[in-house]
Amino acid sequence: MRRPLLISGLSVVLVLAGLWAFGGLAALSEWALAQQREVQNLMARGIRAVRAGDAGALAALLGVAFTYGFVHAVGPGHGKVLIGGYGVARRVALWPLVAIAFVSSMAQAAVAVAVVYGFFAAFGWSRERILGLSDDVMAPVGHVLVAGVGLWLIWRGARGLRAQGRRVEAHDHSDYHDAHDAHHDHHDHHDHAHHAHAHDHGADVCATCGHAHGPTLAEVTALKSWRDTAALIAGIAIRPCSGALFLLILTYQMGIAGAGVLGTFVMGLGTASVTMVVALLAVWSREGMLAGLSEGRLARALPVIELVAGAVVMLAAFQMLRMTM
Amino acid sequence: MIRRVSQMRKWIWLTALAAWPTGAVAHPHVFIDATIEVIFDDKGLAEGVRIGWTYDEYFSLLIIEDRGLDPDYDNVLTPEAEAKLAGFDMQWDANFAGDTYALMAGAALGLSRPVDFSASYGDGKITSSHVRRFDAPVAVRDVPLIVQVYDPGFYTAYVIVGETRITGRSDCTAQVFEPNRDAADEALLAALAEVSADVDIELTYPAIGAAYAEEARITCADPS
Repeated sequence: MRRPLLISGLSVVLVLAGLWAFGGLAALSEWALAQQREVQNLMARGIRAVRAGDAGALAALLGVAFTYGFVHAVGPGHGKVLIGGYGVARRVALWPLVAIAFVSSMAQAAVAVAVVYGFFAAFGWSRERILGLSDDVMAPVGHVLVAGVGLWLIWRGARGLRAQGRRVEAHDHSDYHDAHDAHHDHHDHHDHAHHAHAHDHGADVCATCGHAHGPTLAEVTALKSWRDTAALIAGIAIRPCSGALFLLILTYQMGIAGAGVLGTFVMGLGTASVTMVVALLAVWSREGMLAGLSEGRLARALPVIELVAGAVVMLAAFQMLRMTM
Repeated sequence: MIRRVSQMRKWIWLTALAAWPTGAVAHPHVFIDATIEVIFDDKGLAEGVRIGWTYDEYFSLLIIEDRGLDPDYDNVLTPEAEAKLAGFDMQWDANFAGDTYALMAGAALGLSRPVDFSASYGDGKITSSHVRRFDAPVAVRDVPLIVQVYDPGFYTAYVIVGETRITGRSDCTAQVFEPNRDAADEALLAALAEVSADVDIELTYPAIGAAYAEEARITCADPS
C-alpha cells in the first residue's frame, strides 16, 4: 500500500525536474518577487497602524508578517538548499527532518531578536552596523556552514562508493545477485574485507571510524547524529533574515518592541511553512527514486545520490558565498 | 589536449549549473521603482543620466525612523526633516558601482560619482534622485544607448517605472525593456559555450547579471 505512494514520489522528481528545465521555477520566483514587493508596503502600513493603536492592528501585522516569511521563503534561499539537499542525500525519516525545518526557522527568528536586542538596543550599534554584521559576517559564515554540510555529504558518499568498490572486487563482480542474498553477502564481506584491518565493527561505529564500509540500510536511515542536526539548524539559523531585522529595529525605535518580537517569530512560522514542505518533498522524491530498487541496488545507489546531492548543496553554497563577497 | 578541452567543457557546464540561479539564489529585501532621464548637452551629445529611486514603504519607514525624522509618527515630514533626507543614500562605498550601467554599441560607458542629488518623502515612500555623468559625451543615433538598472547582488530589486525622459533633444525615443529570463538563460549558456578552453572562466565570467536587468534603450535621429 505504501508502494504506490512512494512511487508517486518519482513523479514528484520528474515534475520538479520538468519545471526546472522549462522555466516553471522562474515563473514561481517571479511570482514570489511580485508578492515580496507588495508585502513590503503592507509591513510598513501594519507597523504604523500598531503604532497608532488601531483596533485589530496587531493581528493584521502578524498576518502580514506570516505572509512576509512565506513569500520570502518561496523565493530561493539557503534554508531550502540545506533541508532539501540533506533530505535527498541522506535516508532520513520524514518527521525528524520536518521538525528540523521548523526548529531552524524558529532559531533563525531567535537569532534575529538576539542580534537586534544584543547589539542594537544594548550596545547602541547603528542600523548600518547591524545589517553589516548580518550581511558581511553572519551570511558568509552561514554559507560556509552550508558548504560544509555539502562537503560532508560528498565525503560520506565517496566513502560509501569506495567501500563498495572494494566489496565488488572481493565479491568477484556479483552484481546480479538476488536482492536478499546481496544484502546478506554484503555483511559477510564487510567482515572479510575489514578483518584485514583488524577493525572492531560495533553497531554504530560508522560515523567515526576511519575505515569505511558500505552503509547498511539501518545505518543510513538514521539521522546520523546530533552533529548533523546541529549543523543543519545552525546553517539556517545563523543568518538572520534582513526583513526580520528591519522589523525588530523599526518596532524598537517606535516603542512597540513587543509587536516586533512577536512578528519576528510569526515571520519564522511563515518561513517554516515552506521549509517543512521542502523537507516533505525531499524525502518523498528520494523515496520515489529508490522505491523501484531492490535492496542490493539500493545500497549501491545511496552513496551516489548522497554524493550528487552533496555536490549540488556545495555548489549552491559557493554561489551564495560569491554573491555576498 | 582534446582531453583537456573536454575536461574544461565539463568544468564550464558545472560552473553554468552553479551559476544558473544567480539572481535566484539571493532574494531581495529592498524594492525600488527607478526612473531614468537622459540628458543631452547643447551639441546634441548625451552627457549623462538622472536616476530616480523610489523606495518601498518598509525600507522608507526604516530610514525615516532610524533618523528620527518623524517623531510624532504621523507619516508627514516637516520641511526641515525632509531637508535632512538629501544625500542619505549617496555615501557610496568605493566598491559600489551605483546599480546603474550605461552601454553604447556593447561597450560600457564610464559613469561619474553621483552628483546633484536630492530626496523627498511622500505617501510613505522616499524618492531620491542623482545624476551620473558619462566620462565623455556620447553621440546617439540609430544604435541605442542602453541604460540598465540592477543590483548584481540582487539585495535590491529594481523596476523601471514610467517613461524614460529625454532632456535637451526632441528627436530621440526611448523604450523600456523588461528582462526576458528565458532569453537571459539562453544567453548565459551561449556565452559560456563561447568561452574557449584556455581562458580562465573566473576572470572572464560574462556579466550575466546584466542579462537580467531592466533597461531603457534610447535612439535618436541622425542630426545631419
